[in-house]
Amino acid sequence: MSQPAPSQSQPGEAIPVLTASVRDVRFFAALLKGINFSNRASVTLTADTAMGMIVTVEESHCLLATSYIYRDHFDEWSYSPNHSRPVNSQPAQQTPDRDSDSTTFEIPLTTFIECLGIFGTANMSSHTNGPKPKKWRREDEVSDGERGDAKGKGRASSGNRASATHGLEHFFGGGNEKRTSMRLSYAGPGYPLTLLLAEDSSGPTTTCEITTFDPEPNLELSFDGDQTSSSSWLRDALSELDPSCEKITFISNPAADVARGQRRGSVGGAASTSKPLFRIKASGDFGSTEMDYLNDREVLETFECSRPVSVSYRFAHIVHTIRALQSSTKTSLRIEAEGLLSLQFLVSVPKARGGGSSDSFIEFRVQLMGTFRELVEGSLR
Amino acid sequence: MRFRATVENIPIFFRIIQAIEKLQKKCIIKFTENEMHIICNDDANEGGIQVWSVVKVESLFTNYRIQSNAENKITVSLSTEALLSALRSSSSSASSSSVAASILPTHDADELVMKLAKKNDQAVLSFEMLGVSRSGRKVRVAHDVRIDVMRPSEVDKLREPLCPEPDVTILFPQLQKMRTIVEKLRPLSDILALRANNSGKLQIAISTDTVQLETQWLGCTNPSMRQASDENAPEPEVAENPDPEKLFSVHVSIRSFIKFLNSHVVSTSTIACICQNHCAILYVYIGDVADAGGVLTFYIPTVIDDV
Repeated sequence: MSQPAPSQSQPGEAIPVLTASVRDVRFFAALLKGINFSNRASVTLTADTAMGMIVTVEESHCLLATSYIYRDHFDEWSYSPNHSRPVNSQPAQQTPDRDSDSTTFEIPLTTFIECLGIFGTANMSSHTNGPKPKKWRREDEVSDGERGDAKGKGRASSGNRASATHGLEHFFGGGNEKRTSMRLSYAGPGYPLTLLLAEDSSGPTTTCEITTFDPEPNLELSFDGDQTSSSSWLRDALSELDPSCEKITFISNPAADVARGQRRGSVGGAASTSKPLFRIKASGDFGSTEMDYLNDREVLETFECSRPVSVSYRFAHIVHTIRALQSSTKTSLRIEAEGLLSLQFLVSVPKARGGGSSDSFIEFRVQLMGTFRELVEGSLR
Repeated sequence: MRFRATVENIPIFFRIIQAIEKLQKKCIIKFTENEMHIICNDDANEGGIQVWSVVKVESLFTNYRIQSNAENKITVSLSTEALLSALRSSSSSASSSSVAASILPTHDADELVMKLAKKNDQAVLSFEMLGVSRSGRKVRVAHDVRIDVMRPSEVDKLREPLCPEPDVTILFPQLQKMRTIVEKLRPLSDILALRANNSGKLQIAISTDTVQLETQWLGCTNPSMRQASDENAPEPEVAENPDPEKLFSVHVSIRSFIKFLNSHVVSTSTIACICQNHCAILYVYIGDVADAGGVLTFYIPTVIDDV
């Protein structure tokens, strides 16, 4: 009696451009939530063997956030580029988003994420891999012990609401093994992005057709060369900062200079604080905060800095990274010579088959605060 | 006018009022010799949702005594919030979260007596409960809920909405699961399409500029609603609906629908009737369908959708 719904997903077209499926949408959703600060996102599907889907969001021509979702995150991935367009015979260039075989379209990202969470089981907070980043942090948070103890035994959450609910959800949702699985298809330009979501075979199924839009050219911020690289302390730093801050400044000095400075400082006295190895300074109308980081492997996994840097960014832009930070295990922060900031957040996703995990990442590229940028550009010319 | 009853099933009474309270600030309760009717028919309600419920006296009360000049019926209008808080303090499951939990009975009150009274020239529904406090002492808690007794002429004006014969009746899945989904849809759209056919398919769908979303349940039961009313005409149904696959739909305000879904606290099963492009009638059964202690009937009229 009950027949499957007539498939509205492939109107006429024999081979849709994309069909993909994921058994558990939580990681997929987390990778998208990390960049969900603007509703319009452009999605690029690539023919590259490793790369799958690249989702990009930009804001006010200064901030570009990209989520790289590799094709091995999908349990099934079949992409057949639209051959109606002239295919460039040149070998694919280095950057996959310039790939001639790629397909780009825009979607309303908030709606997409809302649809993924329709059964209420797309939330990262109940995910089994959860304690991993926390354990990590507990080790490097010994000095913050008293704060963690106040929050509750064994949960070293440093005033971070997200990780507190995380533990709670984990506690209550322990027996709830329900997962939302998804099948994704895209028939080509002008067609909607179709999602088929279900929890289990007996439960309800949801079909979403998300309107796609023609792509608009995205901001291009190409990045070359790096200066600093470090790991997952940034979440704490950002969540501690006052939201009324206006700008955030990263100050870093080459390790050798700092060591020299300290030696001199120990002899001469006051000079030791003047040259921090790595300092985050946030300033606003109500004052400023400074946070210094030591060159300790537990805090900064690696640290490279070739010359002293002090660059400022709009805090409103940096704070957008917080959701990406929350789902990530490692962070890399790089600042190039022109002051372009690149923040990369590593999100490890357990593989569907055979265990192990594969790494995905979310990248934010932030331009200098307006006036600074003009100054730097002026000085370069 | 006399009225007095012992509330036997406090948790159920509490949950019914809890569902009603989300809907409307004031409600009308009509006590008759055998039934309690709870009516919410405020025109100002979001999306025009109305509730007409019937609860059998024996499923909630014992020692039920009623006497009045109007055929032994008493109709009162009262604040749902006040009624809810009166019941809250007598039910341990309800009071556990409240601040008053520490002084109020830890167990369900041994006895909860509800009676009509007059205090300072004001008619009240007085709730008196006896219980044992956490420290083992006996406590007596009394709540007076201010009421307005309605005149019989006013009561006669209360009319259940008239609806055409439903096009389809279908048994809903668990309301709580449905609520999760509908809650997610609320930010996306104001209007929800409820569709069902006579072969067990139920859909809830939204349609906006950015997304067309449809959640579908298969294999729901299509109960026959007429067997109770007129058993001599079960056959025409097949003739009326020659195509069991045909979907009948009604557009309702998503916020009204969520208000109805709040009744998941009392529901064991829910039957929905859809009158195509007219309204949705939702019967929320309290207790087992076969031996229902009562039913909350929600009427949600259609939204005239310009799109």
